[in-house]
Amino acid sequence: MRQLLAAMKKELLLLIRDKIGLSILFIMPILLIIVMTLIQDAVFSNINEEGFPIIFINNDNDTLGNRVEEGLRNTQMIDYFDHINGEKATYNSAKEAIKKGEFLIGVYIPKGATETVKENVFNIVAESIGNYNDSLVVKQRDVEVKIIIDPIASKSFVLSISSILREYISSVKTRMMFETFKDEISSLLPEKPIYDSKYLNQKIISYNQEYASNLLNESAPSSVQHNLPAWTIFSLFFIVIPLVGSIMREKTEGSVFRFHIIPVSYLLQINAKVMVYISVCMLQFVLMLVIGLFLMPLLGMDRLILGDSYFSLFIIALTTSMSATAYAVLIGSLAKTQQQGSILGSLSILVLSAIGGIWVPTYIMPDTMRIISKFSPLNWSLDGFYGLFLRGEDLIDILPQTGLLVGFFILCLSLAKFINKSKQNI
Amino acid sequence: MCEIIEVQSISKYFKGNESPAVKNVSFNINKNEIFGLIGPNGAGKTTIISILCGLYNPTKGTVKINGFDLFSDLSKVKHQIGIVPQDIALYPTLTGRENLEFYGAMYGIPKLELKMEIDNWLNKFEMSSSADKPVYKYSGGMKRRINLIAGILHKPDILFLDEPTVGIDVKSRSSIMFHLNKLSDIGMTIIYTSHHLEEAEKFCSDLAIINAGQIIARGAPKDLIDTYDSCENLEDLFFLLTKK
Repeated sequence: MRQLLAAMKKELLLLIRDKIGLSILFIMPILLIIVMTLIQDAVFSNINEEGFPIIFINNDNDTLGNRVEEGLRNTQMIDYFDHINGEKATYNSAKEAIKKGEFLIGVYIPKGATETVKENVFNIVAESIGNYNDSLVVKQRDVEVKIIIDPIASKSFVLSISSILREYISSVKTRMMFETFKDEISSLLPEKPIYDSKYLNQKIISYNQEYASNLLNESAPSSVQHNLPAWTIFSLFFIVIPLVGSIMREKTEGSVFRFHIIPVSYLLQINAKVMVYISVCMLQFVLMLVIGLFLMPLLGMDRLILGDSYFSLFIIALTTSMSATAYAVLIGSLAKTQQQGSILGSLSILVLSAIGGIWVPTYIMPDTMRIISKFSPLNWSLDGFYGLFLRGEDLIDILPQTGLLVGFFILCLSLAKFINKSKQNI
Repeated sequence: MCEIIEVQSISKYFKGNESPAVKNVSFNINKNEIFGLIGPNGAGKTTIISILCGLYNPTKGTVKINGFDLFSDLSKVKHQIGIVPQDIALYPTLTGRENLEFYGAMYGIPKLELKMEIDNWLNKFEMSSSADKPVYKYSGGMKRRINLIAGILHKPDILFLDEPTVGIDVKSRSSIMFHLNKLSDIGMTIIYTSHHLEEAEKFCSDLAIINAGQIIARGAPKDLIDTYDSCENLEDLFFLLTKK
């Protein structure tokens, strides 16, 4: 026990006196979390709060065009424009401006769109009520509303905006159909008039969006709630850099030579490192929580919601720290030089974090990548944190993730022990 | 004389090398002896020292240290040996004292006793005033002295020294050699490798010249030199036998 404490004291002293190592451990993760959360929050805010610029070309100048214009003008998430450089926008000028990045999306309503819709509706109504007459009815025509898109806009963003526009235009069309229907029926049955207000303003289907979480029932999960755990896990795993550095320095400076000769197992030295670095990881984690709870609100972002189960949070943080530290020990045992260890460590963490869903969520990944992501310890950890932070789960729910992380910890340390032993038996 | 080290026909082949680093080497070392292992670079000195410390298993052969089989009783053997490696095996950002406290604690020396031992050795090696400075601020000689103290704090019966005076000034070298002689006087057996043949000639009571993994001469330095009429000192003998 005394030997273990002495080895831990030595590790702690080495860590405290390594200024660059300390900055990697504490300052860099703090900067990373603040910068990444701010950036991703800014993207989020741009779409949801400040609005994105849309150029509208209303060549119809009738019911359809005017109602779409009214709708766009009244939508908060849109900055409405219909002029470019002081001149009324045309299809070509709008396309050119979007190409230059001045607008994200353009909506073009062609001339005579309302008239065409009315004609089409008239045909449908005439056919429906058996008043169909070939000589009276013109052939059915399409109204082509164009949505012009800036190529830099992401696919998912375009899809969501297009859906909103289509839905809105469709509702305008339905309203026009209803009005035409009403006019036709009124002309056929003048004794039974239909009143607008009764039907047109009545909601037949209503939508209510709710989160399947006790924790977040009343408010949408903020970008802090999403990003902070992801970047915290990433930072915890970056303990690989200083820890591999510490192992490699001992190898190159000859201390390992002494460790193999002194009557204590080299595993004791490794255990001391693991314990000290797990404590450092936990300290990092607490620091990240403090940032989420106190600093993020000061920077204008939402406050991190911790949930109810602090013990579960401690367990998932501990198992993540254990995995990160054991992984570093494995890399340190594999590497032959400090450079090799640093490159192998940092690159493998980048890859594991990318496939683990730290950079982009796994649900938007292709099927194969989604399967591969299940093999990343960062993914297990992220899943556990999301369980606690977003789904309001408790310890029982995150047991599979913590179990996998503990398994990974044992596997890495066993492999490291095997590698060290086989290197000694040369 | 009591034999403290018995080496029987050890050979060591490293993976990927066809020729052995050490080939069928046998020798015994008596207690309280200062035994020198000299030879050109790559002769196998460090491999033999590493085998005797239990760091490498020999491909064949047996080693007994103080009556214990090195490989089946390694943990008992480890308590009886100390090593001063050629490289400075110290933590540069820790102070000299912190390094010694750490290595002493690894040998399980009780805290109070350890403190007294450290103070005693720091004083003997004139390092007391620098003991609380980080090692990276030390001169080469100061590092060598702390490196040596780290190997003897637990009072081993056998001390292995792999070129303990390489790259240091005359003052530090004479201080180290003086204290090594003192250690021998109190009964410690010393196994020593060096490229300083003059130093080895003066310091060792017994030595072996090794070349290409084999012992080519063995005996007290004076006896060995006297065997060859053309040799006036160990350096002459070394060049004659190794042709290097």
